[in-house]
Amino acid sequence: MASVIKLPIRAPPLPSSWSPTSNSKKTIGPLAKRTLLPVGPAYLAHVRRSVHNHSFEDHDRHLEEERKRHEELHGSGEEDDLGVGDEEETPDLLALDPKEWKKQDHYAVMGLSHLRYKATEDQIKIAHRKKVLKHHPDKKAGAAGQTNDDAFFKCIQKALEVLSNPERRRQFDSIDPYYMDMESETPSPAEAKKAVDKSSKEFFRIFAPIFEREARFSKTQPVPLLGEPNDGKDAVESFYDFWYNFDSWRSFEYMDKEVNEGSDNRDDKRYTEKKNKAERARRKKEDNARVRTLVDLALSVDPRIKRIKQEEKDAREAKKKGKGKMNGTATPKADELAEKKRLEEEAKKKEEEEKAAKKKEKQAAANAAKKARRAERAATEPNGA
Amino acid sequence: MAQANGSAPEAAAPSTKGPAVIGINFGNTYASIAVLTKEGHADCIANEDGERQIACAVSFHGEEIYIGNQAKPQLVKNAENTIVGFRNLLGKKFSEIPKDQPITSAPVIQHPEQPDAAAYKVAILQPAPTPIAAPTPSVRSVAATPAASHLPTPRSEPTPAERVLTVTEVASIFLKSLVQSAQDFLGRKVEGAVIAIPSWFDESARAALEEAAKEAEIDVLQYLDEASAASLISVTSPAKTLDADRNTLLVDLGQSALSLSLLSIRHGLVYSIASSYDTSVNGEQIDVKLLKYFAKDFTKKTKIPLQVCPAKDKADQRAEAKLRLALEHTKRTISASSGAASCSVESMKDGMDFNTTVNRMRFDLECRSVYTAVVAAATRLLESVGFEPIHVDEIIYVGGSASLPGLDETFFTNGFPESVVTPFTEGSVLGGGSGDPTSLLARGCALQAKVLAGIPADQVEIREAFKRGSEHASVHATSKTLGIILPEDVSEGDAKAGDLGGQWVLGVPKETPLPYRRIVQFDCDLGEGTEGERKVGMDLWEVSEGVKVENIKQSKEEPEEGEEDEEEEEEEEEEIREKTLTKETQLGSLQLSCKHPIKEKGRWKTTVEVQFVVGHAGGVILTAREIHKDGKGEPTTLTIHPVSQS
Repeated sequence: MASVIKLPIRAPPLPSSWSPTSNSKKTIGPLAKRTLLPVGPAYLAHVRRSVHNHSFEDHDRHLEEERKRHEELHGSGEEDDLGVGDEEETPDLLALDPKEWKKQDHYAVMGLSHLRYKATEDQIKIAHRKKVLKHHPDKKAGAAGQTNDDAFFKCIQKALEVLSNPERRRQFDSIDPYYMDMESETPSPAEAKKAVDKSSKEFFRIFAPIFEREARFSKTQPVPLLGEPNDGKDAVESFYDFWYNFDSWRSFEYMDKEVNEGSDNRDDKRYTEKKNKAERARRKKEDNARVRTLVDLALSVDPRIKRIKQEEKDAREAKKKGKGKMNGTATPKADELAEKKRLEEEAKKKEEEEKAAKKKEKQAAANAAKKARRAERAATEPNGA
Repeated sequence: MAQANGSAPEAAAPSTKGPAVIGINFGNTYASIAVLTKEGHADCIANEDGERQIACAVSFHGEEIYIGNQAKPQLVKNAENTIVGFRNLLGKKFSEIPKDQPITSAPVIQHPEQPDAAAYKVAILQPAPTPIAAPTPSVRSVAATPAASHLPTPRSEPTPAERVLTVTEVASIFLKSLVQSAQDFLGRKVEGAVIAIPSWFDESARAALEEAAKEAEIDVLQYLDEASAASLISVTSPAKTLDADRNTLLVDLGQSALSLSLLSIRHGLVYSIASSYDTSVNGEQIDVKLLKYFAKDFTKKTKIPLQVCPAKDKADQRAEAKLRLALEHTKRTISASSGAASCSVESMKDGMDFNTTVNRMRFDLECRSVYTAVVAAATRLLESVGFEPIHVDEIIYVGGSASLPGLDETFFTNGFPESVVTPFTEGSVLGGGSGDPTSLLARGCALQAKVLAGIPADQVEIREAFKRGSEHASVHATSKTLGIILPEDVSEGDAKAGDLGGQWVLGVPKETPLPYRRIVQFDCDLGEGTEGERKVGMDLWEVSEGVKVENIKQSKEEPEEGEEDEEEEEEEEEEIREKTLTKETQLGSLQLSCKHPIKEKGRWKTTVEVQFVVGHAGGVILTAREIHKDGKGEPTTLTIHPVSQS
């Protein structure tokens, strides 16, 4: 590529007396013959130019093409990190205590807090490698004055331990502190009602993210989401139907109390286990109730339900009215439709009647023929006998 | 840093592993190997013994062969079976080899069969043929003699034998071990190598080396001139202050000879303006001076007479060999640190140990004469092509002896200006820096191997261009410096700029291979006024470079009153040399009207980009255009006709 040399000079202003001299038709001094050392990339470029008889501009263009082709073949050269990126590490995060690993947000430690439960296994691997490269104790060996050097590294290892095991990751996802905070912010019925009364759009603004969040716990995927303001009756009904029968995989083992490791007492262990089990069940029940109340709340304030009910009511009334005055101009369409239907029905009836008549005729004809044959047989039998 | 003219930007490696190519510096006393790192840099590697400087020595001891630094201690007890200094004998006839040198290793003899061929005769132990395997117990019949031993028959004693090796065979054994070391390091087979050879190697030496490489089963991509290998390091990782176009002095002080080259580096293209090869100045002289110094020191300390270089008797010879080994360490310590270096030899002579230290000053004092001889040779070389030390922009050192800091200091005290960039001023000598003289050649070779490995196999013509004597390598070069002068109101401007009547901008330095392109950007002051057309004008001139010598009398500070020593302070004269430029021929001029000036502190300014292109026949195309934030303005061009070839 053409390289530009930037000079740190500032050219003086052009004197007014200066004018360009005409081309002197002189040439530069005599040339000497030299032999290049056949070495380096510049010589390679020189040979390429010389072999293909390229000018500098041609060569630049050729190189640019080569580069593009190369880029297409191998990507931009940078390793794809699958969108893991680099998250900022707050001082709070770096000061985490590995002993308190149960309380730490593993996704934040791994730098995956923008992905959370959506992070794939590959992304977790990449994120872990990135963090280790940055925080490995060997890297910090030179930096003096830090006694608690590898604390954050241990946190990273704990986070990997949890997130790389699908079972343990599911347990952690169940109680992901980030979403737990959000759950506690679910609006109360009164608030929701107030907001929705103000504007029906509020309903979708509030509830769409909530349902999206809850959907991750569903055993059956995909989950019908809240939808749009002018969804039809079927869609809305199937939505609520699904959510009232919500089947969640959420579990609460992560919140278990640790069995006292030191004690060999079997009874102690059993007692704790029993308690944990009961606690889990209680939490699960609570959670199911929570989802149910959430759906209840949504249903109670859903503007679509109101709209659908209104529509149905309107339709009924219109029907009633239509019965009252047949030729009313208010519902010409309905009249037309009724007329059409009536006509169709009549035509159908007629057709059926015709069919029936034909059948009867046929039957009659067949019967007559039978009778005739019988009579004939009766007439000829004695003769033959 | 400006990029080499037309060289491609570093393309991403197609795979994480680069090509398995290596660079070999095969010197007369030491060799080194370099490989490419994952990032594509060249790195000098250590062999199995952890040595980056691998001694060129092969020693035969009984059934064993020692290669490299392990062979060196053999010079003490087993000198007659230890071969050193064989590279310089490659391709030489027996009659051509001087015989007057003192013998400290296996002597060169006439080959018993081939006429006029040099060879070495070494005593070895021939391993006895393996005896026929004893019958295994499972097959042994029950009726076998009860006394039969279960142990296999012991091997009989190896028989003493003599082995005659040609120089090429020794080189082949050594090269093989180098490639093996690289292979062990890389963990895969070496696909190709570039080997550095000295510039004085003639056809027969090359042929002998090629044969040795073939015997060692090395696929040699190129036999690269040492100057080329060294320049490649300067081209690929230059000091930040250096221009893309520079004159570089290459100083290769090896153990056996001094070789100097003045290189023209222009945007990565390199050629040698002048070079010299001198065996009368070498690293061995430094060794001899130091050996004598230490021997004298030993005699002084122990009252045991010791004569070295040449040694008088067998005991002295042994002492010298031991001292030489220790000296290696002393020299390296002196190079690496500013403090004193120790030299200790156990049982040097008559069972007496020798232990001393030498500081930098003492060391340099001993070696001063060699240093000055090197600088004198360099100055002579420059003079022969009409260069002054001031025209040298950079010095590169190659070879173990060149890593002595005293040599660099001598250059600066002998007329080379402070502005010259050397690995010592850059601080890149130690710690595997880019300027490390001991590994420079190997790394240069590895980088060249990378370039060669990157050429697709089907581009035969381009591959051929790297062979010796390729027509693409022969080019025309300019003989005068070309540049533009941005005119200035002389009455306003200071007198200093008055010489040229304006601001000088270098376009094409002299000794530049053609075709050539240089693009420069600079700011232009357009004055204060508000009305009228704003213009930038420039004259294209050919200039000659000269040196202005000024003698400045430096008066010493007045001695403080009341002090007793009122010696007469002589006024010292100091020579100040300055580069000068003299206008020679005006080739034309160019005017550019500015459409996008920017106002800054009440004055108008703009940025102008000027491109100099010189065709291979000497035709100049000068293009100037304005640069503004939205892009580039319309170019204005001046064309100078090519030089008529007579």
